[in-house]
Amino acid sequence: MAKLGVFDVSVRYGKVPALNDVSLHLNEGERMFISGPNGAGKSSLLRAISGAVATSHGRIEMDGTILTGRPPEAIARQGLSMVPEGREIFGSMTVEENLRVGTGIRRDRSAIESDIAEIYDAFPILGQRRNASAGALSGGQQQMLAIGRALMTNPKLMMVDEPSLGLAPNIVDQVYDTLVALQQERGLTLLIVEQSSARAARVGGRMVLLRGGAIVDQGDAREFAEKDLLKDAYFGGAKTEDA
Amino acid sequence: MGTVAQLFFDAVSLGGIYAMAALGIALIFGVMNLVNFAHGEYIAFCVFALIVPSTDAVAVMFLGKAPALVLIPALLILGALMAMTSEYVVFRHFRRADPVAMMIASFALGFVIQNGLLAIYGSRPKAISLWPSLNTPIHVAGADVPLLQLIVIIATLLVVSGLALLLKKTRIGLEMRAAAENFTMARMLGVRANVVITGAFALSGALAAAVAMIMVTQTGVADVRMGGSIMLVAFIATVIGGMGSLPGAVAAGFLIGAVSVLLQAFLPLDARPFRDAFLYTLVIVCLLLRPQGLFASPNSKPRV
Repeated sequence: MAKLGVFDVSVRYGKVPALNDVSLHLNEGERMFISGPNGAGKSSLLRAISGAVATSHGRIEMDGTILTGRPPEAIARQGLSMVPEGREIFGSMTVEENLRVGTGIRRDRSAIESDIAEIYDAFPILGQRRNASAGALSGGQQQMLAIGRALMTNPKLMMVDEPSLGLAPNIVDQVYDTLVALQQERGLTLLIVEQSSARAARVGGRMVLLRGGAIVDQGDAREFAEKDLLKDAYFGGAKTEDA
Repeated sequence: MGTVAQLFFDAVSLGGIYAMAALGIALIFGVMNLVNFAHGEYIAFCVFALIVPSTDAVAVMFLGKAPALVLIPALLILGALMAMTSEYVVFRHFRRADPVAMMIASFALGFVIQNGLLAIYGSRPKAISLWPSLNTPIHVAGADVPLLQLIVIIATLLVVSGLALLLKKTRIGLEMRAAAENFTMARMLGVRANVVITGAFALSGALAAAVAMIMVTQTGVADVRMGGSIMLVAFIATVIGGMGSLPGAVAAGFLIGAVSVLLQAFLPLDARPFRDAFLYTLVIVCLLLRPQGLFASPNSKPRV
C-alpha cells in the first residue's frame, strides 16, 4: 500500500485552474522531488494534500485513509506535516514556542522534551536562541526552525516546499543533509519541492515535473539533471525555466 | 498633587475599561479576522441579565441580588456562554465567507440582541444599583477616589495579567497565539480551529461581562443602547493598537482613556462639550501617521 496516493486531483482558485488531474504515489520511506516553473501548481499540490486548499476533483489517500475533504488539523493527526513555502514560522513567538505548537496532537507526552533536545542537537543555533523571538532569526535559521517545527508533530510523511528558496548554497547543503539524516533515522517519507534538478540528483530520489498544473514528466532525479545539462549545453546556460 | 493623582486615577480606570473592551474585540479578530460589532451588545446583555425582565423604570435585581462571590463568576460564565453561542449559531457558518460578510453578520447579530432586550425590558433606561457602596470616595495620594476606580484598576491589571499568563503559559494560549498569527499554518500543525475559536469567543464574552459589571456600577444605568458607545471606542482602540495585537489593544485602550481624561481637564471650558471631536481628530492624525497601528505586531514575514 502506498504511503501517499494522489488520484486525479484538481484544484482551482475561483475559475482559475491551478492543478489538473494530477496523480502520484509515494511509497513508505521514499523521497520524491517536485519540480516545475513558477505557477506550475507545485505549492497548490502540497497545499491540497495538507488540506489547506480544497480540491475540486479527485481523491487523496494516506495509508489507505482518505484525506480529501478533511480539515488540515485532522490531516496533521494522520501523520502528515508540512514545511510551507516561505517558512511561515510564528514570528512573534519564541523559537521553542514555535516547536511546541505542533505537539498538541501527540500522545507520547514524555517524548516531547527529548525530541526538542534532538532538534537542538541537529540545529545547535536553534538551541542557542530557544528563547529568542523567531521573527529575528535569519532566513536559514527560520528554515531550520520550520523543519524542526514540522518534525515535532512526529510525522510519518513530511512535505517541504522549496527549502532552498533564498538560502545560500552552503546552508541549502546543510538543510538537505539534515533532511536525509532525519529520513534515515525516522523512516520518514519525504515530498520536496525543488527547482534545481542538479540539487535533487545529488540528494537522490524520484522526480516529478509539473507544468501548467499537470505532470509532464517523471523519473529518477539524475535523468532530469542530465537532460537539463544537455539543455544548458545547447542553449548556452540561459535560464530555460519554461522550456 | 491632588489633581494630578485624581487625573491619574480617572485616566487609568477609564483606560482600563476601554482596554478590556478592546481586548474582547482583538482576541476574536486575531483568530478569525472578524470585527465583532456585536461585542457592545454582549456587554448590554450582561448588564440586563442582572435585573428581572420588566419594562419598569426602576430595575429589580435578579442575578444582581446574588452575593459578589457568586455574581461575578456567574456573570463571567454567562458572558462566555453568550459569546460561544453566537459563534456556534452565527459566525461558524461564515468561516469561509468574506470578512466583510462576517462583519455584516456581526452587525445583524448585534441588532438581534439589542431588539431582543428591547422587547423584554423596554426602551427606557433603568436605574440600577449594583454595589452602590463602591462609589464612596476614599482618600488616596491627596485625591478623593471612588473605591470603584481602584477596583477597576486592580481588576484590569488582574484581567490583563491573567490573560497574558493564559496566553503565555497554557496549551490553549499557545495555540491561540499561533492561530492569531497564521491560522492555516497552526491548523497544519494540528491546532483545532473550533477549539481555538470557541476559546477566543469565551474569553471575549467573559471580558464583556467584566466591562458590564464595571460600567453598571459606575453609571448606575442599564440602557439597551449602552453597548454602542463603548464598542466604538473599543473598536478604535483595536485599530490604533494594530488589528489583532493584544498588547496593542490594551495600550491603545489606556491611551484613549488617558487622552480623553486629559482633554476633559485641559480643554478650554467652551470647547469641552466637543471633547470627542478633538479625541477623534487625534485618532485620525494617528492613523494617517501610522495606518498599521501604533503597536502593530512584529513583522512575521519571512526573511529571504
